[in-house]
Amino acid sequence: MSDGLVRLLDGNTFVVSEETGDIDASPTIPTGFFSFDTRFLSKWILSINDERVNALTVEEVEYFESRMVVVPTLPAPLVDIGVSAIRDRSIGGSFTEQLTVINHEPKPVDLRIRIDVDSDFADLFEIKDVRNKSGTYYTQVDGGRLRLGYQREAFRRETLVSSTVPARVDEQGLTYHVRLEPHGQWTTDLHVQALGLGGRDLRESLEGRPGRSRAQIRQDLAGWLAQAPRLTCDSPTLGMTYRRSLADLSALLYAPLTGRGHAIPAAGLPWFMAIFGRDSILTSIQALPFAPDLAATTLRMLTVRQGAVLHDFREEEPGKILHELRYGETTAFEEQPHSPYYGSADSTPLFVILLDEYERWTGDATLVRSLERAGRAALHWIDEYGDIMGDGYVWYQRRNERTGLENQCWKDSWDSISFRDGRLPSLPRATCELQGYAYDAKIRGARLAREFWHDPAYADRLEREAADLKERFNRDFWISDGEYYALALDGDGRQVDALSSNIGHLLWSGIVDESRAPKIAQHLLGPQLFSGWGVRTLGTGEGRYNPIGYHVGTVWPFDNSFIAWGLRRYGFHQEAGRIAEGIIDAAEHFDGRLPEAFGGYERTLTRYPVLYPTACSPQAWSTGTPLLLLRTMLGMEPRGEHLVARPAVPSGMGRIELLDIPGRWGRAGAVGRAHPERR
Amino acid sequence: MSNPTTSFFQSLARRGHETLLEDATGTIRFDLTHEQGVDRWFVAIERGDISVSRDGGKADCVFHGSRATFDRILAGQSQMYPSWLRNEITTPGDVRLARLFVRLMPAPPGAHHPRDFGRERRRAA
Repeated sequence: MSDGLVRLLDGNTFVVSEETGDIDASPTIPTGFFSFDTRFLSKWILSINDERVNALTVEEVEYFESRMVVVPTLPAPLVDIGVSAIRDRSIGGSFTEQLTVINHEPKPVDLRIRIDVDSDFADLFEIKDVRNKSGTYYTQVDGGRLRLGYQREAFRRETLVSSTVPARVDEQGLTYHVRLEPHGQWTTDLHVQALGLGGRDLRESLEGRPGRSRAQIRQDLAGWLAQAPRLTCDSPTLGMTYRRSLADLSALLYAPLTGRGHAIPAAGLPWFMAIFGRDSILTSIQALPFAPDLAATTLRMLTVRQGAVLHDFREEEPGKILHELRYGETTAFEEQPHSPYYGSADSTPLFVILLDEYERWTGDATLVRSLERAGRAALHWIDEYGDIMGDGYVWYQRRNERTGLENQCWKDSWDSISFRDGRLPSLPRATCELQGYAYDAKIRGARLAREFWHDPAYADRLEREAADLKERFNRDFWISDGEYYALALDGDGRQVDALSSNIGHLLWSGIVDESRAPKIAQHLLGPQLFSGWGVRTLGTGEGRYNPIGYHVGTVWPFDNSFIAWGLRRYGFHQEAGRIAEGIIDAAEHFDGRLPEAFGGYERTLTRYPVLYPTACSPQAWSTGTPLLLLRTMLGMEPRGEHLVARPAVPSGMGRIELLDIPGRWGRAGAVGRAHPERR
Repeated sequence: MSNPTTSFFQSLARRGHETLLEDATGTIRFDLTHEQGVDRWFVAIERGDISVSRDGGKADCVFHGSRATFDRILAGQSQMYPSWLRNEITTPGDVRLARLFVRLMPAPPGAHHPRDFGRERRRAA
């Protein structure tokens, strides 16, 4: 990363520090040690003889361990460095730092080594403005350990700092007085534990198991990588991106208490290290040919939390799939609605889509049968609660008008849905891709009803409704002068006419009339939407277009992976290939780790993809992007009991061979080779 | 004995089956504390079939909390999951079972169907 921050990650426990290893949190730089949406360290500063340290090197060994070499002076030419320190840290069961200080001098030195420690116990939702917390802080020095605490009623969070070498502990930190012999060195292990109820390890009380040791994580990662399909390819970038994606996906996994030890991906570091319905589902779809277990856990987990009643604050309705689940103080005291929050209109149809796609790949009929009630409830939600206007479309309008989301589609920032001239539409809003998902959910729901739920009448009904939806959609959303689909309909029945990437998802869903698909493909690869790296979220000619606007001009890798897949579905193989190649090219500039989003600038203008300022990285569905692009380039589809590959490898990609692809066939392989470009 | 908690368990016993709990099997013991002591209820679930008793054997999950908290949850004034995050209640044992049971908690009074809410807002505009 180029932002000068170092990240350690294990599920929803993570450390973000400066390159020196220091943590000195400020409202703008959210450094700290975080677990379950609470910051447990806001200060962790090393000094040697009262000098802060400077970084010589930073080595990110694995996602859960890093090593910094630091010196207590500013490195300068002709100045010999007398003392250096190595901060070897990892995250797992706790945050651990092995601190080694080395004397490079031929004479002994006396050192005062100090770690300043503090915690504000901020909830992730108040990081940007921690103030007036309702609870009380306390600090205890007990038995050579430093205990920082925060209590509000029965809610309690504690940070416990201990050291293998005895330290002089005060309420602000730990001090060591050390004499180092010539060329001698000194080492201590520092442990920082995040504790919850009754002083128990927070992970144990909220996740049902203690955190894993470094050795355990290393072993799990090796096992995860060994199980994944093996890729050999001509493109070194693709190979590097694939390996990086697998490791990052593993880093983002965590096992919620109800998951019975199985893991699901959290959405993204640092803001979204939590369960998000939409993100978990789309990532599971992307990863299906590589790690189908993720889909099973995601489906089970989301079913447990499926909506049951009407609840305005949480925007819950019966059958609805959750948007976001949190563990922090503001959720606990019902100041924020994430318990869980249900404010997304797409996660419910996407749930049905994942259920069907999962069975097509794995043949796991047992799960599909056991989730019949959940699947039917989700399909019922589409018509009963999604259809706010009673006209057969899926709409959203927040009922939590204080803390709810204004836009409840994947582009969930307030200004993402607009007319060409930049005006914002009235409520409720029915974005186009929601209709595509609803269509696809009905088609897939019909297959599930017929083949697994023994209800052919229901299947027929769903298919009739889908056909009817497709017909109406192609009439009501089609903008005849621009020849594309409107971004949305608004509450006054007007077409929200901006040209956006949302039309690409429609190809994935299959709701686009065959006759109109060529126009859509043309727009997606046309000058307004295609940057050279990928498809922009909003066309360059639109009123609100901004190449570094979160949902109004940036390029989102995950968006592109689904668009490329949709293009192949409609036979636009070359167009799909151009997107796949552009995104993989971009990955090279991020060392194989695609960020959440990057700038929508013309590729020929900047020649490298411009990092979006606060992009999450790693982020689950960006991590899943290379996986879905591989599926798309190789044209992998389950057909009956077999894996079929119809490769369409873009010209610059050479040969791609993917072996040991898990599925209902056991393990199978797919190979593709680029053909000379034909036009 | 006509407090909300008692009425809730009695009505649950009368219903005998809950579609929303067809993916659940197991027994939850409720230990609800109040000034006079502890009210204990056993809810045994077998794929949605429910039986309620005041005494039973081994439970797969135990719900510990005050009856006042449980009453507030039943009145829709508070939620089970945030109460658990606040440590107001604890649910040792099979947590999935406790989570599934949340489905039976009533909606808060005055909650809207999205269609009605939309209609109200359009009328107000």
